[in-house]
Amino acid sequence: MVTPPVVTAPSEAWAPQTAIGVQDAVREAIATRAAIRIAGGGSWLDAGRPVAPDARVLRLDTLRGITQYTPGDLTLTARAGTPLREIAEATAAEGQWLALDAFATSDDGGSIGATIATASAGPLAYALGLPRDIALGVEVVTGDGEIIRAGGRVVKNVAGYDLTRLMTGAWGTLGVITEVSVRLRARPEVDRTLALARAGPAESAADVAAGLRTAAMAPLAAELLNPALAARLGVTATGSPVLLLRLGGNAERVASEQMEAGKLGDGAVIDTDVWRALRQCERYSPGAVVVRWSQLPSLVANTWRHAVECCAGSPEALIHASLERGVVRAIIPAADTAALARVLHPEDRPSGGPVFVGRRIAERLPARLWSAEPAPGTTDRLARRVRMAFDPWHVLNPGILGEGARDAADRHGGSP
Amino acid sequence: MDPSHSRPADAPADAMPAPALAAAGGQAGGVTPGAGSDPSPPIDAASLARALEAVVGPRGVLRRRSELAVYTADGLPGYRKFPSLAVFPANRAQLIDVVLVLAEHGAPFVPRGAGTGLSGGALADDVVLVGLNRLHRVLSLDPENAVAVVEPGVVNAALTRAAAPFGLYYAPDPSSQAACTIGGNVAENAGGPHCLKYGVTLNHVLGVTAVLSDGEVVTLGPGASGAESAGYDLLGAFVGSEGCFGVALDVTVKLTRAPQAVRTLLADFMSMDDAARATSAIIACGILPAALEMMDGPTIRAVEASIYAAGYPADAEAVLLAEVDGLAAGLDTDAGTIARICTAHGARTVRIASDPADRARLWQGRKKAFGAMGRVSSHLVVQDAVIPRTQLPAVLARIRDIATRHRVTVCNVFHAGDGNLHPNIGYNAYDADESARVDLAMREIMRICVDAGGTITGEHGVGLDKIGYMELIFSPSSLAAQCRLREVFDPERRMNPGKVVPVHSCREWSRRPS
Repeated sequence: MVTPPVVTAPSEAWAPQTAIGVQDAVREAIATRAAIRIAGGGSWLDAGRPVAPDARVLRLDTLRGITQYTPGDLTLTARAGTPLREIAEATAAEGQWLALDAFATSDDGGSIGATIATASAGPLAYALGLPRDIALGVEVVTGDGEIIRAGGRVVKNVAGYDLTRLMTGAWGTLGVITEVSVRLRARPEVDRTLALARAGPAESAADVAAGLRTAAMAPLAAELLNPALAARLGVTATGSPVLLLRLGGNAERVASEQMEAGKLGDGAVIDTDVWRALRQCERYSPGAVVVRWSQLPSLVANTWRHAVECCAGSPEALIHASLERGVVRAIIPAADTAALARVLHPEDRPSGGPVFVGRRIAERLPARLWSAEPAPGTTDRLARRVRMAFDPWHVLNPGILGEGARDAADRHGGSP
Repeated sequence: MDPSHSRPADAPADAMPAPALAAAGGQAGGVTPGAGSDPSPPIDAASLARALEAVVGPRGVLRRRSELAVYTADGLPGYRKFPSLAVFPANRAQLIDVVLVLAEHGAPFVPRGAGTGLSGGALADDVVLVGLNRLHRVLSLDPENAVAVVEPGVVNAALTRAAAPFGLYYAPDPSSQAACTIGGNVAENAGGPHCLKYGVTLNHVLGVTAVLSDGEVVTLGPGASGAESAGYDLLGAFVGSEGCFGVALDVTVKLTRAPQAVRTLLADFMSMDDAARATSAIIACGILPAALEMMDGPTIRAVEASIYAAGYPADAEAVLLAEVDGLAAGLDTDAGTIARICTAHGARTVRIASDPADRARLWQGRKKAFGAMGRVSSHLVVQDAVIPRTQLPAVLARIRDIATRHRVTVCNVFHAGDGNLHPNIGYNAYDADESARVDLAMREIMRICVDAGGTITGEHGVGLDKIGYMELIFSPSSLAAQCRLREVFDPERRMNPGKVVPVHSCREWSRRPS
């Protein structure tokens, strides 16, 4: 069936205050063949691929507030648009925290709905879990306008098929998350951050990962910073890479880990607030390209070297590595086109060096570069069938996963 | 749990009384073989058996009723279901071919690991049973990245034995770990006492290669590559899908480094309330114990009267078994904090296991508690529900009331730290009146757990047993969404038919564009 695309002028955003309001918006979109751009706090709208240009924004910042929090249960339920900052404040008052510390550019830490929808992880993820480990349940408006609930509010739950995991990291393409229940943690008695200077060339700084694995310590986070980022965060004056360690537990344990950390480098205790600054480090470089590389943790030293070499000649490039997860992330000024070219096309590099065999994932790219980015995992048969099952008319964030123009055409050509 | 503990060994299979819980919630009665699909032409059993024998050899297919009798039950008491035949592929290639043959014949089938499941998930009611026990190799083990790739039939405890020389172990530890398989653990998203700190199966599975019901082989999750995976979290959806989405050909799991030190504490109380309040206080204090288990008076006395006697004070109304592990530094401080909290909440005595043998003994009482109850009654319903942790005292009190009202004896032995209750009722399944009272009591217990903000199963799965309770916690549209996900993987609903989601929920959504 060939139907001419329905051209709609950019319309006013939907700003629902309830799940029913979200459902109305989705149903309206289906009826009018419109596309929806879901926006939580609105701070990551330039992250991820561009959504169909005619998409109408569905704001979720109007859908906010903690709906259930019993501290003794160590669980919390909040509407999707609730900023992480608001949750952090409520839980801190009870000596607890939500260990979701995704990188975000906004002061409020981004919204809980967006964090779950994009499965964004931060430095605490290795020790305290990825979003998929922390989400207990969701309320979702699916792409065909149904309000569904998956999972629940308790910390163990195997009732039914796991739609919570399916929605986590789906970037809103299967449903609009309207409410999330999460697992909390009691805050450790002592929460101490060390900055260890790593002398020597930046390329080999991640060699420390091997020592970290065998050390008698289990840090809450272990993040390696390149000299540019360490300087930005004000944790070094020497121009060397810095290993940030976050230690938690009772005083005796943390003291012992601190001793052990001394074997990895010269260190100083610094303000724990550095983690918040690190989370927002993209703000130092507006409009920058953000990518990350991921492969086996045992190969993180190679991954780091690859990232540093790609960014050579870009003195402002900020690089950091979650050593225990094997993930390296770089923020590269868009003007540094040579570094950018090496990042995106490492095979064109003249020099040798270790070959990176893992995955490079783009978080933020100039619009013109997205079309050349591969979109693995969205075009195989199962992925297409999942999309069809939950968003049959492709109204939700069409294009954001790189699923291609064909789907947008389906949206206009399909009949509800 | 070894199902033999809960059922007399000499009970004639076909004489099992109608299951007390078969009609729980009124839905299980609607379960029919091949349910979920519309009536389809009858399967030519002889032709199917011949085709399967061509794949696995004549000894790999069982058809005689006497041979199939072994496979008529799992860990759920009171059920006997004969498969139409049972097939046992010897390797990955045979397994794929078996699934292809079943697809060609349009035959529904049930994958089965060790059959220790407690929700009836491995029961095959006049459909083909695919036994996976012969696929029991550890395919690779990467000590540096603490990752192993195993076949689905590898026994949980065997994986830990394989990992032990490298200072590693597999953390999820269901009580049946000496027998249950990783494939079954993945299907059920199995838990265990130490999941309080370490997480359930979902948190330890990095990848699955699975064959879908139409024979397609798919790879889900990052697997041993270690790189982040792209796209939808279909691995997360697969784990806990109870054999309805596909059959795992191999599973990539995360191993855990053995802790530097462990401290195990036993605290005994004169009331369940006190023990429950101590539990909440421990959880809230900032220490995350590796395990925090509770047993009530009837359980303690059953254990102490059995060969598994662990030295629990026999006059106590509750014991808490708490364990902390990790770095040696500061661990005694954490153990001391827990001991103080217990004492402050009325514990009569708190003792710390003096050596590994003492620790093993304390744990044996907990892990064999179900077996010990075999002394008390011939049959045992092992129930599984989860409630918010602060609701423990109130819900335990209501369970006591329910037990009194229905004149049944409830033994509570459970994962207190995460609010995962196991109210167990011993009974005689040949006593119709008692069976009916057990059924009523269980239904009421499930309802109060749901009313308290909990769920109907924390680690045993829905299977056949809990299908009637699904509508207590999910709306029709939520259940229909689950059906949609299932049909992404298995459009004909041939895998483990009639389990997990009530059939009528799946019939109510049909307005999909094709």
